[in-house]
Amino acid sequence: MNIPDDLLYAESHEWVKVNDVATVGVSDFAQQQLGDITFVELPEVGDELSKKDEVAVVESVKAASDIYTPVSGTVTEINEALEDSPDLVNTDPYGEGWLFKIELSDESELDELMKPDKYKEMQAG
Amino acid sequence: MNAQAAIFEDPVAYGEGVRIQKKIHAARLAKAIPDTLLVMQHQPVITLGRRGRDNYLTVDSTELENLGIDYHVSSRGGDITCHGPGQWVLYPIIKLEGQSASARGYLWNLEEIAIRTASDFGVCAYRREGMNGAWTDEGKIAAIGFHIKRWVTLHGMSFNAAAVPEGFSKIVPCGLEGQPVAALKTILGPQTPSMDAVAERLLQNFGAVCGRDITLVKPSELASV
Repeated sequence: MNIPDDLLYAESHEWVKVNDVATVGVSDFAQQQLGDITFVELPEVGDELSKKDEVAVVESVKAASDIYTPVSGTVTEINEALEDSPDLVNTDPYGEGWLFKIELSDESELDELMKPDKYKEMQAG
Repeated sequence: MNAQAAIFEDPVAYGEGVRIQKKIHAARLAKAIPDTLLVMQHQPVITLGRRGRDNYLTVDSTELENLGIDYHVSSRGGDITCHGPGQWVLYPIIKLEGQSASARGYLWNLEEIAIRTASDFGVCAYRREGMNGAWTDEGKIAAIGFHIKRWVTLHGMSFNAAAVPEGFSKIVPCGLEGQPVAALKTILGPQTPSMDAVAERLLQNFGAVCGRDITLVKPSELASV
């Protein structure tokens, strides 16, 4: 299972990468559990989100699964490439398959997310 | 793991069924109740998955109304389908955890429950590549579409037992052109088992496939949730 070292992880299997804004996606584990993704419904730029809000819906064959934002803030960009190629979430979950970017409203929330080692442990358990 | 199940005797209006599911889902999320299975027949209804294609509905709303068939867009995955008396719909409101927290695995399990249930009555059902659900030589006998919300499931699987709901003639089921729909009745004719017997097998097979010990409760006992 691929768990990059430079990301933070939520229990619900989203990842966060912090630069000037935070990028959010779903982990390799999550994409495998979801199966072949056929559609991704994303938030809109400007949406104000609170941590753990339902922010996106990922559809795989016969299934619709909710995705939650692991941090609060304002959506600044969404991954429009997913409209035509939702399978990028399967093929490159930590790269081209990112979901949205968010300007954090409370950076202290990052402390509540898991470091890679802990996320690895959670999966092993 | 324990689960409770309630079999609804009379056909339930689809909207009412969704309302009950949501209530059970909220209670399950709050850990107030164990995993719960609702087993219902619906009053005639055509439903569309959240991204279903309504061009596969071949009649207009007036005709549906005249036929007494209701119409709903649902939060589930999957395309257009139809429910009605003679068909059981299995709504497992269960927490998918650990290694079983898999949409793909859960889909496989629901198919397996349908295949085993058909087999219990001597009907050979099977999977078909790229066309999920359970199929017989006479057509599709079970259709699947579900929603995973905080890793607790909603919606589920429909299994045609004593009848193919008449609404199927007004849609292209699941958007699959030219693919017939079958029920146990289509294949077994007068040997078709009672609806009660089919519900009993669906629950038994659910327990075996999903690893749950099921206790039957009355629908009225769920009202206190």
